[in-house]
Amino acid sequence: MSTLQLIGGGFATVLTPTGIFLMLIGVAVGIVFGALPGLSATMAIALFLPVTYAMTSSNAMTLLMALFIGAISGGLISAILLRIPGTPSSVATCFDGHPLVEKGQAAKALGVGVVFSFLGTIFSTVLLMFIAPQIARVAINFGNFEFFSIAIFSLTMIATLSSGNMVKGIMAGVIGFMFSTVGTDTIEGTARFTFGNTNLKGGFDMLAVMVGLFAVGEIIGAAETSRHTDETVTKPQMKGIRGFGFSMQEFTGQAWNALRSALIGMGIGILPGIGGGTSNMMAYTVAKNSDKHAAELGPLGTGRIDGVVASETANNATIGGAMVPLLTLGIPGDTTTAMLLGALTLHGLTPGPLLFQNQADVVYGIFAAMLIASVIMLFMEFFGLRIFVKLLSIPKYILLPCVFVLCVIGAYALKNNMSQVIACLIFGIIGFTFKKLEIPTTPFILGFILGPLAEVNYRRGMIRTKGSFVPFLTSPISAVFLIIAVAVLLIYATKPLRQKKA
Amino acid sequence: MSFKKCRDLILGIVMLLVSGLYLFFAQQIKTRPKLTPGFASARIMPTLLGVLLAFLSILCIVQGLRKLKEPETDSQAKKMDRGDLAAVLLTFAVIIGYILILPVAGFILSTILYLFLQMIILSPAEKRNYGLFCLVAVVFTALVFVAFRVGLQQLLPRGVIESLLGF
Repeated sequence: MSTLQLIGGGFATVLTPTGIFLMLIGVAVGIVFGALPGLSATMAIALFLPVTYAMTSSNAMTLLMALFIGAISGGLISAILLRIPGTPSSVATCFDGHPLVEKGQAAKALGVGVVFSFLGTIFSTVLLMFIAPQIARVAINFGNFEFFSIAIFSLTMIATLSSGNMVKGIMAGVIGFMFSTVGTDTIEGTARFTFGNTNLKGGFDMLAVMVGLFAVGEIIGAAETSRHTDETVTKPQMKGIRGFGFSMQEFTGQAWNALRSALIGMGIGILPGIGGGTSNMMAYTVAKNSDKHAAELGPLGTGRIDGVVASETANNATIGGAMVPLLTLGIPGDTTTAMLLGALTLHGLTPGPLLFQNQADVVYGIFAAMLIASVIMLFMEFFGLRIFVKLLSIPKYILLPCVFVLCVIGAYALKNNMSQVIACLIFGIIGFTFKKLEIPTTPFILGFILGPLAEVNYRRGMIRTKGSFVPFLTSPISAVFLIIAVAVLLIYATKPLRQKKA
Repeated sequence: MSFKKCRDLILGIVMLLVSGLYLFFAQQIKTRPKLTPGFASARIMPTLLGVLLAFLSILCIVQGLRKLKEPETDSQAKKMDRGDLAAVLLTFAVIIGYILILPVAGFILSTILYLFLQMIILSPAEKRNYGLFCLVAVVFTALVFVAFRVGLQQLLPRGVIESLLGF
């Protein structure tokens, strides 16, 4: 089948009454989760997983992609109007977004943010549609050596880049990896660390771990501050907001900035470990450093649309980027895509090169859902802004308990008994402890998910080579990834030494 | 000395103990040497991980000791408010209570109770609106029950109310 036929098929899968309904719900809920500080895209997907259990895999992925896109974009609403980023992805949106509001140009700031969020998503999705099948075609020849090295590479990147403290980052990854070793060994079939408990035989469920760590841990953590948080945030001025608020000239003036930011966002999305939280800052910094109009219009940060464009284009472009390794290799680069991996597995789909051959309809359905969901997002944020702003005033002490109940239902639904609810609580406590000790949780999750991939491929590879590690280093693709991993480790490990000399 | 200042040291020591325990249990894993050679056995990865964690713990202890020597800054000395600590502990307590009574009392009753108590714990004293909390607890529970049990045919823990309603 030609690519165009596949794309057409994708649209046909998604554009059913159910599909459209799910996307409307998904985008709306996603925007709310994105806009509310403390709720994230990862949490939105975690909470909606139990809703998808009974759905077909295409419908489930349609809903989850809509949530993802809505949540990454929704962060701009609170970032611009309240100067509180709804998610880490829109931190840089605050810098110029809020000063614009103070200048009385709220409509312009929001209009620019919404339109460029949309363009960022579309751009990265289209690129994804053409890049991913090519990568899948190469990856189909990958064996144990390559998958082992890619898993190790991803783990190293995540552990070193996602935290300020390399020792703690790697430690979190190793602990996550350790939790994945609990259960029946897949190669030898012997029990590991089960201590005779039958519930542990199947190992810990990926979803219970993630829901516990992100949602439950977050709620326990919120208990610490919720009594003090200043709920009397200044009511945003919504009067006179009409149209997109910017001229055609302003729009075309941003073309280069937007393209550059979209490429930064896409590239960062593809690399494991650094997601939307980094891409918006990086695009903003690049835009600031290469700014040519600082003299006449004032530097970035004083209320220029350039800043909003850079941040919002980049964070939404990260979505398309992050989907590349997830779909083609089955490797999630951040917590949100880890959640999506959990969702795919739950529906009996194994992401990786074979998915493009065996379930091309689901893959192209995901692409189509991403494109349509971004159009829905554009209209919803444009026409429904007032409603989303109203929702921002729901206090956390009402919201978080309700979120927790949804977590419990999700965990219960995994096995229809309390075992996973208890597991979820245990991981919630771990998440809270990590937070207190300033240990990053992302490497933990990815260690838990990528660990088994690394282990199985290492052991199978070693059996094939009769105990020699050399082929891991002589296979070119495997070697490249291992070399980069070692290089990244060395660069970070020697950083303090080099700083002392300087 | 504040907790923040010595937490890396504590973390390192605890993790060193954990790695020791993990390595001990890793050696108890049964392997099948006739089927799988030693270099690919079920024991190999856990052993490597245990050693790696022990190494990282030692690095963490070194970092922690170095931090002890630094002068204490104001932000580090800031301690957790007693009320906040109470809120965290109470939150733990109601969550554990909720999970314990769920299988006995059923979803509807325990969820309404949990939501009501949790909102009281999390809200600042001057904003406590018991009527509103009660309303939210009941309405939210009802909505969720209808959506999941009726709409999505998802099983939920059963109790008295569920049996009376015929689910």
